Amino acid sequence: MKVRVISLVLVLAMLLAACTTTGTTTQPTGNETITFGVLAPLTGTNAEYGKGFQVATQMAADEINAAGGVAGRQIKLIVMDSKGDPKESSDLARQLVENQEVMAIIGDFTSSASMADVPIIDEAKITLLSPTASNPDYAGMSDYAFSVMGRQSDEGPFFSTYILGKYMQAKKVGIIYINSDWGLSSFKAVTDQMKVDGIELVAEANYVAGETDFTSVITKVKAANPDTVLILDQGAVAQVVNQIRTSGWTDVRLATLGPGASQQLIDLTKENSEGLITSTPFFFNEDDAPAMAFKKTFTEKAGFEPTVHPVVAYDALYLLVEAIKKIEGPITREAIAKQLATTEYTGLAGPIKFQPAGDVSRKYVIGQVKDGKWVLAAGYDYSTTP
Amino acid sequence: MDYAISILVNGIVQGSIYALMALGYSVIVGITGLVTFTHGEVMMMGAFASFYVFELFGSNILIGAIGSFIVCGILGIIIYKVCYERFLDAPRHIALICTIGASMIIKNMAQIVFGPNQKPMFGIFENQLIKIGPVQLSVLQLVILAIVVILALGLSLFFSKSKYGISMRAVSQDKTAASLMGLNVNANALLGNVIGCGLAGIAGMLISVYYQAFQATMGGPLGMKAFSASVLGGLTDSRFAALGGLFLGLIENFGIAVSSASFRDIFAFIFLILILIFKPQGFSKKGGIKL
Repeated sequence: MKVRVISLVLVLAMLLAACTTTGTTTQPTGNETITFGVLAPLTGTNAEYGKGFQVATQMAADEINAAGGVAGRQIKLIVMDSKGDPKESSDLARQLVENQEVMAIIGDFTSSASMADVPIIDEAKITLLSPTASNPDYAGMSDYAFSVMGRQSDEGPFFSTYILGKYMQAKKVGIIYINSDWGLSSFKAVTDQMKVDGIELVAEANYVAGETDFTSVITKVKAANPDTVLILDQGAVAQVVNQIRTSGWTDVRLATLGPGASQQLIDLTKENSEGLITSTPFFFNEDDAPAMAFKKTFTEKAGFEPTVHPVVAYDALYLLVEAIKKIEGPITREAIAKQLATTEYTGLAGPIKFQPAGDVSRKYVIGQVKDGKWVLAAGYDYSTTP
Repeated sequence: MDYAISILVNGIVQGSIYALMALGYSVIVGITGLVTFTHGEVMMMGAFASFYVFELFGSNILIGAIGSFIVCGILGIIIYKVCYERFLDAPRHIALICTIGASMIIKNMAQIVFGPNQKPMFGIFENQLIKIGPVQLSVLQLVILAIVVILALGLSLFFSKSKYGISMRAVSQDKTAASLMGLNVNANALLGNVIGCGLAGIAGMLISVYYQAFQATMGGPLGMKAFSASVLGGLTDSRFAALGGLFLGLIENFGIAVSSASFRDIFAFIFLILILIFKPQGFSKKGGIKL
């Protein structure tokens, strides 16, 4: 019931936010609050991650506000539902940039949506800090586009060499992937390295966002008889895993790049995901007190356990605040972007230091489902950059 | 060879679910004479209804089907009262726009009440595979086929033999003449809407059981598929609508086999456009529901 009331209030709040007149003449620097926009897919197949963005950024904002805010100002977030759709996302990005109070934008979740927003934020000279966009072309598109997740061009080769090659000893791999900016760049990053590593790609099949019937895709890949199937996606991984197992194809090993160590993935697949392997730049470690505290609060607020994605969204807001603290002179949209490029910050998911393009390199680890829980594959903590 | 057979099986099973969707659609359009855009949302509600029925009464697909039928039947009454009752004689676009509005309200209410996340639908059936010669089928696929065939035959008998079915056909063919003969047009149209929506509910349940997942936003594409399949029968002929559904499933699956699943909807909608260009009235000869 509480959730419904909250969602109702949120919907009303979003309506109000959408209705507020744009182009106000008030000087942003005179306000007592500082406003950031958040673009996230609150509905649709990536809703788990969008909700994660919403809860995690609000957690960071609440903590910062409780500690006195930034530069004496309280943080206000305007969260908007991009539905994981690039068209929707760019419409919302335009609404946000036209609202003069918005000083920077966090989002979007998918690379496709983030890339669709870049021309708009570039023109408005406002920061677009995507926690998760990992298409290698994204951050280089504008001086105002940043990403903290790490690049596909790092994670793909890691996946091929260490997970498919060394850990799984795969010889013949079939790949099922989402036909999107992220999916295509991941596919290319993994398969390029597979050629180098001598792993054979026996079948590939893709589908567009929103697909629910994977039987035909699976039949196609199965016909090539691979020993390992790799799934590149976030939201639909659970369905693909389920449909592979229920089609009677139980002897093939499964790996996935994209969802991270998602608890919801296990909830949606039950025993079908047993043995599933993934790469993630971050793993909740029992000894890591701040991370465990984050996990506890997040789970209470969101109603499900966090993956790496809300963690980097949480880090993203802290990073933004860290940059604003360092600004000398008036806080403007341009000043934030300029300062952000040189700001270094160590968040829950590790250190963030931007490369010239505006994205970061991350280390990756291997996670595997054992007895219905994600566990870390010991001894396989490799990094692509020393 | 095995590959071709599994594509055929996938296509037939998926096509049979499309057929059930199209059956319901053609009954509604046939009886009210007005196009509906709520069909996808009704299927979504059918999926949610069956989910809660399974939780309350255990995983029995027949009880789930009855639950979906009842819930969506009631939804059909509401949709009829809101979108059709007052507009049967009004210009067609009024009811059409009204159904678009109703579908948005149902979808968004479902997102608020049930949440936007994908939900799993598990363990309704033990995952067993049957091999008949070179054909490999799962028990679930067999059950889906059986349910669709039984419902289609039942619907056919209802329209050809029962008093209600015959009067509904009369109403769908000519509302004025039917009312002059003493038939209650409103009651018949309401009953047709309840049956159509109930069938859509069962289709929604079958889809979510088959793909093991469902969510509040699943309706849109499904409604378009039901529409495309029904076009084969000029929107009102149930037999051709069912055939259209089966065709659609096969075309999609063989299309994907030769190209990519990213093109799934392209095959479906090329089919729709070709029919609309060359046979816009469909393959049925007379107006009204036929079975």
